[in-house]
Amino acid sequence: MISTQSDQARPPLTVSELAFEIKRRLQPLAAVLVKGEVSGMKALRNGHYGFTIRDRGAVVEAFLFAGDARRLPMLPEDGQEFVFRGRVDFWPQGGKLRLIVDWVEFDDVGKLRAQLEQLKQRLEAEGAFELGRKRPIPFLPRRVALITSPTGAVIHDLQETILDRYPNMDITVYPALVQGTASPGSVVTALRRCNQDAAVDVVVIARGGGSFEELYAFNTEPVARAILVSHIPVVTALGHTSDRTVADMVADAECRTPTEAGSRVVPRKADLLRQLDERSTRLQRAAGGRLQREADRLAVRADRLQLVPRSLLERRAERLRRFVAELARLRPADQVARRQRELAELERRLQASATRLVRARVTDLERRRAGERLEQLVADRLRRSEQLLADRERRLAALSPDGVLARGYAIALDDESGRVLRAASETAPGRKVRVRLGRGALRTRVEEAG
Amino acid sequence: MSVQPEVTYEKALELLDRKLRELEDGQLSLDDSLKAYEEAKRYLKLCHERLEAARGRIEVRGEAAAPSAAEAEAPF
Repeated sequence: MISTQSDQARPPLTVSELAFEIKRRLQPLAAVLVKGEVSGMKALRNGHYGFTIRDRGAVVEAFLFAGDARRLPMLPEDGQEFVFRGRVDFWPQGGKLRLIVDWVEFDDVGKLRAQLEQLKQRLEAEGAFELGRKRPIPFLPRRVALITSPTGAVIHDLQETILDRYPNMDITVYPALVQGTASPGSVVTALRRCNQDAAVDVVVIARGGGSFEELYAFNTEPVARAILVSHIPVVTALGHTSDRTVADMVADAECRTPTEAGSRVVPRKADLLRQLDERSTRLQRAAGGRLQREADRLAVRADRLQLVPRSLLERRAERLRRFVAELARLRPADQVARRQRELAELERRLQASATRLVRARVTDLERRRAGERLEQLVADRLRRSEQLLADRERRLAALSPDGVLARGYAIALDDESGRVLRAASETAPGRKVRVRLGRGALRTRVEEAG
Repeated sequence: MSVQPEVTYEKALELLDRKLRELEDGQLSLDDSLKAYEEAKRYLKLCHERLEAARGRIEVRGEAAAPSAAEAEAPF
């Protein structure tokens, strides 16, 4: 209390001095616990919050710094009753007295649960928990999103489980605060961004469990609403140490641990490969069996074909050959060629017989004519010969050396050459000369030629 | 028959099983059997492709959305 004692020597206080004095006097109230109901909660610049705490008889303004707000398990909401820890301070610029809150605890967890129940009832009335509303979790997602703290065991376990089951799975992490007053906003932002990106087929929201207060964010309406409006199926994994949260109830699938969630969103690739191998085997067997059946049917026909009598086949073959020959004969080109050959043959034969005939006629004619001529010729010849002979006889008689010789002439002939010697010069001494006489002859030797 | 690109693994597996059943029933003609076999093989291939489509990449998008840390500026 400011002293009321009158002291004329003391000058009046400035406002600032008064404010300072008020602050100084408030120091005993630096650590108080106040119980009251929240109202007029509003977010200020820079993440601070302002609200009032009231009970039936009084109202106190309260202020929550952003740094303190982040450390709180939950943010006070209007109508909720809390126990606030803080210090009473005077704000000189605003002229206001405020409780600077640095910690908040539920005054009555039972009451908070009751409020939570109300939220659940509201959501249930909207059909938010109905199975029919839930989106199916894809059997094999192309990519998985994780909304969780980017550090710690939870994300590690999630990734390990997913990659162990499906080594080439793609994962996108959307980091989020999973506790503290900023947590609801952070989770909502991450889920919204994940939907905007539309790059994944399923999203896991995870944290490593915690107390009712620590899981506060997942019991808030904004988080529940964000899950409800998500286009991408949401799987929660919020720990097995706690109760079901509203987030779990509106999610499309609810798991307890990161390992369970990893198994839920991704199949075991080795199982799928085995499944495909099994089908591949069945496929080959089915197709192979079908072909074998067909082959068997063909074989049966082949056997029956073997049983057809050979003679029948041969008769058929013979008929076929005849048909083929007939067909060949009937071919126009062949027919023309054949006719041409026949014509040529006829022509040749005609020519030959004509030639023979002519030649025969000629010979005949010639033969007849020659006979007549020959007779004539022979007669003529004979006649002429007789005449010539008579003439020759006459001339011969006249010219015959025998007559001359008979008359005493002699004919000298060279004995070697037989030539008639008409001059002495035609011979020489020593040469033999035959001398024909009228009767007989002499063989002589020339002694002198002159 | 062309296989649509958006066919999922599950759908392709379902189609594969259908063709497989038809083949195993043995009621198809030889031609239809061969067709069914080719289609089944396509679905089998598609399943394998779907399994290998992902590349095992891990990506981090954004940061944990927190209110500004600049609380030093008090409204006093």
